[in-house]
Amino acid sequence: MNEIKSLEHPTLKVPYEVFNKRYRAAQKVLDIEARQVANSVTEIDGGVAKQAKAGEIDNLLGGMVEKLISMKRKASEAISEELQVAYVCKKRLDHLKEHATLLNEPTSPQVRTAMNQWRKVRLDRMLVDYFLRSGYYSCANKLAAAADLRDLTNVDIYQAAMEVEAGLAARRTARCLQWCADNKTKLRKINSDMEFNIRVQEFVELVRAERRLDAVRYARRHFSTLEPAQLPALQRCMGLLAFPLDTEVEPYQRLLDPGRWEALVTQFRSAHSRLLAPAAPPPLPVALQLGLRAANTPQCHQDSTRVASCPACQPPLNALARTLPHAHCTRSRLVCRLSRAPLNEHNQPLLLPNGQVYGEKALKEMMKEHGAIICPKTKEVFCMKRVEKVYIM
Amino acid sequence: MDSCLGVEQDLDKAISKLFGLSEHADRILQDAVQQIQDLKNEIANIPPDTPLTEGQAQIVKETTQRIKEALQHLATDHRDLHASVSRVGKSIDRHFIADYASVAPKAESFMSDTNRPIVEQAIAEHLYRQGLEEVADEFVAEAGVTGVERRSAFVSVERIAAALAAGNALPALRWTEKMSHDLRNDDLPFTLHTVHALKLAREEGVVSAIEYARAHFPRHAARHEQQLQRAVCALAWCAKDAPPPPKQYEHLLNAKALGAEAAEMFITVACSLLNLSPCSALGGAVRAGCRVLPALHDMRAKMTQPRVRAAYTTADLPLEVDLGEDGGAHHSVFACPILRQQASEQNPPMRLLCGHVISRDALNKLAQGVKLKCPYCPMEQSPSEARQIYFS
Repeated sequence: MNEIKSLEHPTLKVPYEVFNKRYRAAQKVLDIEARQVANSVTEIDGGVAKQAKAGEIDNLLGGMVEKLISMKRKASEAISEELQVAYVCKKRLDHLKEHATLLNEPTSPQVRTAMNQWRKVRLDRMLVDYFLRSGYYSCANKLAAAADLRDLTNVDIYQAAMEVEAGLAARRTARCLQWCADNKTKLRKINSDMEFNIRVQEFVELVRAERRLDAVRYARRHFSTLEPAQLPALQRCMGLLAFPLDTEVEPYQRLLDPGRWEALVTQFRSAHSRLLAPAAPPPLPVALQLGLRAANTPQCHQDSTRVASCPACQPPLNALARTLPHAHCTRSRLVCRLSRAPLNEHNQPLLLPNGQVYGEKALKEMMKEHGAIICPKTKEVFCMKRVEKVYIM
Repeated sequence: MDSCLGVEQDLDKAISKLFGLSEHADRILQDAVQQIQDLKNEIANIPPDTPLTEGQAQIVKETTQRIKEALQHLATDHRDLHASVSRVGKSIDRHFIADYASVAPKAESFMSDTNRPIVEQAIAEHLYRQGLEEVADEFVAEAGVTGVERRSAFVSVERIAAALAAGNALPALRWTEKMSHDLRNDDLPFTLHTVHALKLAREEGVVSAIEYARAHFPRHAARHEQQLQRAVCALAWCAKDAPPPPKQYEHLLNAKALGAEAAEMFITVACSLLNLSPCSALGGAVRAGCRVLPALHDMRAKMTQPRVRAAYTTADLPLEVDLGEDGGAHHSVFACPILRQQASEQNPPMRLLCGHVISRDALNKLAQGVKLKCPYCPMEQSPSEARQIYFS
């Protein structure tokens, strides 16, 4: 198992879903256009069978040429869109392969640098993904542009979502309803009541505008096809007709609350994310939490033992680490407090008479510099002779 | 690698089929337009009031019928691609782990209302640290992050490193000049001189590079003899019409890779001098987390029994993960070799007279009255001779 396999499923799956969608759209275009041409062929056939005059046939043929030209244009557009997403998939795959190739190469400074660069890109990708899924669109766009990540992130895929949200924020429902219609089957699969809520909101807006009769008409048109489970909500919604706009009776006051628009935006955002990446939180918080857990030690939460390089030690993440359990550890893993270098057979742990343990290299360095060992913790001064070995199993 | 290759195979197949179809469609439609246009022109030559002859009618019928069939074929051909397209999706599902978050059942808690601002604060700090001020400002405004300092001590380091990665070693050289006392035993200054000399060779010709090398290399000759020889040798391949360099020089002559490596070295050195962390807290944690995830998935794959699985979802990170040479250990952790558990304030590490270290609980268990035999060597001693030691 490796990091690519564990973490990168959505990186490929999301553009694949778009690819699949475009494939189906292209199929539709081809079917419809082919049928159009077939229709005009039937017309011509009819004309010929009726022994129509040459002028008529000429006209009919002209119509067919037009249809063929339009089919040619639409078909090549649809197919090239399909290919475009397929190439996005391919590009991401190539990016992932870079990591795999680096893993297979022997370690050298160059490989390590390249790997760190790759990790940096991965972090940026995660950030962009997090921004998109939290609705911070312009920030996502900026980061993707700054780090040149358009094809490796879903910025373009979320463009439509951004427009729908902007529409909802401006209290326009057309785009969102369009989106609901486009994704009808998938929304039904996840039992989303997105469309219903939008309809309710439109109904409420009609009531708010004191167009109650229109509201009733609207309800007749759109609420008759509802599922039984939505009936109680619908009843509540219809009950609103009987109340004045400044009512204080619940739940009608809540229905009239303008804050419901914001709730719609949030609901849309989560529905959209779920369609693209079902049932998974963004990779950023997952990796962040696991990483903090792995780095979390009791020393992270005492002022005297905090370390600048430890992610769990510094605020603000320290506050999160505090809520997590400490890393599991059955083998000792020692670090010299002076040099931050690991303590092992090349840098043996040495014990000062006051019970403090430091690394051999750092103590020797200190001897060279000061001619004595000053314990950084207690400020006591010792000479090298009084230093003892400790054996850690 | 296997997972990438598996998906790539299916994706390539789908793309090549689709590409073939796209060309085919263009051709067929072009032909169809052409044929009907020709037919139309032919018919237009007939006086418009006369009916078509038998033969002409036959031609019109046949041609249009043929085109109709060809187009229906085209639509069917496209429909037949469905198998290839959906195989890509299945291949992705098979080769990658879809529910990667299932091994971190509490990850959602980081998205909760109390924790989210903390995470976002860390993100904003990370962005400022990377020198991405514009993005960070936008983020702070859009997400409503509070309590983040715009200035980060790291930014100047990051700027110099970015210039270095782009090939400009001068800011970094000025910085090392200032810090020359602390850097006298470091590889950094010589690496920077090498980067600069090779840049001169590329841009102003080998002569000025050699002049630069003469002025700056001798000081470092003692410590970096081999690297110095290599760097000067590499100049031989800097001429315009030089043959491709041998393998061991490729790395020195690749400006981008060399710059990136030097930049990384600079960041490590500068951060240790300034007592900063070489990567942001967010970056460090995420990187560690990315290493933990596969280990957890491995473990889950091995534990197929439902009962074991249930026990596991409640435990927290029940395994040790090696976080790699430069991603891991920030604190000393002493685990008692007898009890196999982490030492704590109540159960601190004790050094026996012979130098072996075990935890106090283990010591008490092993002691028999006033006598204690070290579990690792033959030495007998009294438990009271053991002393508590401190790793942090």
